[in-house]
Amino acid sequence: MEERKSEAERAGKKLAIAASMLLFSSHRLPGVRGWELRRRLGKNYLKIIDALNSRLNSIGLRVKIMFDQPSSDSPAQEDFDKARFFITLSEPLSVADIVAAGWSIEDVAILAATLSYIFTKSGKATEKELVELLEVKFPRWKVEAAIERFIRKGYLIKVEDNMIKVGWRTFAEVDEKELLKAITEITPPQPKDDTKDKT
Amino acid sequence: MSHERKMMSREELEKIIALCESIEKRGLDPFSVNVKELLTKLRRILEEQKDLDTIILDAETLYKIAVLISLQQKWLKERASSLFIDSQLVSLKIASAEPKQLAIALARSWRPIVRAEQLTPYRLRQGMEYFLMLPPRDRAYEKLLTTQEDALRIVKEAGYTKDIALEEEVKKMHERCITAAGSGGELDYWSIVSADTFEETVWRAYVLSFVVSEGLAEIKKNPLTGEVKVVPYPSKRKREKITTFVVSLKSGEVSDLGREEK
Repeated sequence: MEERKSEAERAGKKLAIAASMLLFSSHRLPGVRGWELRRRLGKNYLKIIDALNSRLNSIGLRVKIMFDQPSSDSPAQEDFDKARFFITLSEPLSVADIVAAGWSIEDVAILAATLSYIFTKSGKATEKELVELLEVKFPRWKVEAAIERFIRKGYLIKVEDNMIKVGWRTFAEVDEKELLKAITEITPPQPKDDTKDKT
Repeated sequence: MSHERKMMSREELEKIIALCESIEKRGLDPFSVNVKELLTKLRRILEEQKDLDTIILDAETLYKIAVLISLQQKWLKERASSLFIDSQLVSLKIASAEPKQLAIALARSWRPIVRAEQLTPYRLRQGMEYFLMLPPRDRAYEKLLTTQEDALRIVKEAGYTKDIALEEEVKKMHERCITAAGSGGELDYWSIVSADTFEETVWRAYVLSFVVSEGLAEIKKNPLTGEVKVVPYPSKRKREKITTFVVSLKSGEVSDLGREEK
């Protein structure tokens, strides 16, 4: 009985360590690598992460694992060791929540348009193309400043020849298929019928 | 004739390599190139030219074509995973949508990372060590007055500025340089700069630097002997190339130099 109690205590402690490692980032980038978790939690760290995940689910969070290489069906232990572990929301936010978190609607719209366009262009597009696409809707300076900001935040990466690629943060936070589906489902707003008001 | 043909084949191969590379780099549609046609061309060139250079270039071209084929495979895979959504369609949707509709689309697919910033005991210790290492500030500067005149007066009192018009000094230094250079057209840098006191030497070097920057003189250094010469011009000259020239002044050495010159 005593033994079982101490085992439960130990497991609880490991869960707390895992949660603190994933939530409180000590690096510039959020999250921790698999090998860091292994060092603190032992070789069964994936089981602890599983347990933590089920606990987090109840409060609307989840553990997200991002592999360095595009994941195959069954990643090996080595892939998990190299992968980055984060905690993300398990359900998407509403636009009102995003605005309340300090984002402007226009910035979110620019990010949505940029990412969806890059996704359909095999993961990269020139900055010029993006600016030309977006300046139809937003002022050029705003588009350029927003792209710069997204690069700083890790949603985009600038590579050689002014090419823009999808950044690590997009892979961690954005569901590509869901975004493209949502974009294609957009129906253009109907022009207001002025004659109705007049009659 | 054969040399010409060889050059033409080489050019053709280089063009194919450049084409494959541009598709790879710019992420263009890899199906825009007819691979079969490229391979036929490659075979023809290989049959015509059997020299080592062409064979090596041919192998490189074949490798680039293989990369292109792998890109085609990747492209198809991505197309399939992105539900065959074309960039053209997305562009149209973006152009016709309201910013709020686009924001809603991202919100549907966005699950932001949750994290908290924290100060670790290690960072706290580092900060403490840094704080203890900082030199104490001079309290006098904390009492600096806000008006520009007062600020200038304090700087002057502290000995950072002289009550002299720099323009006049530059003019005088230029004239002195021309007189000292005489018919030779050049003079030793230290002979014009050296003075009895270190402060005066630094001041002269400072004024001379303005004479040079203005284009009224030039400084030349002999890399073998280390001699520094000043070449004054009677009027301003426009320079094509401007470089920075650093002269180090050390208190002891400067006063010695001054005496030697005298």
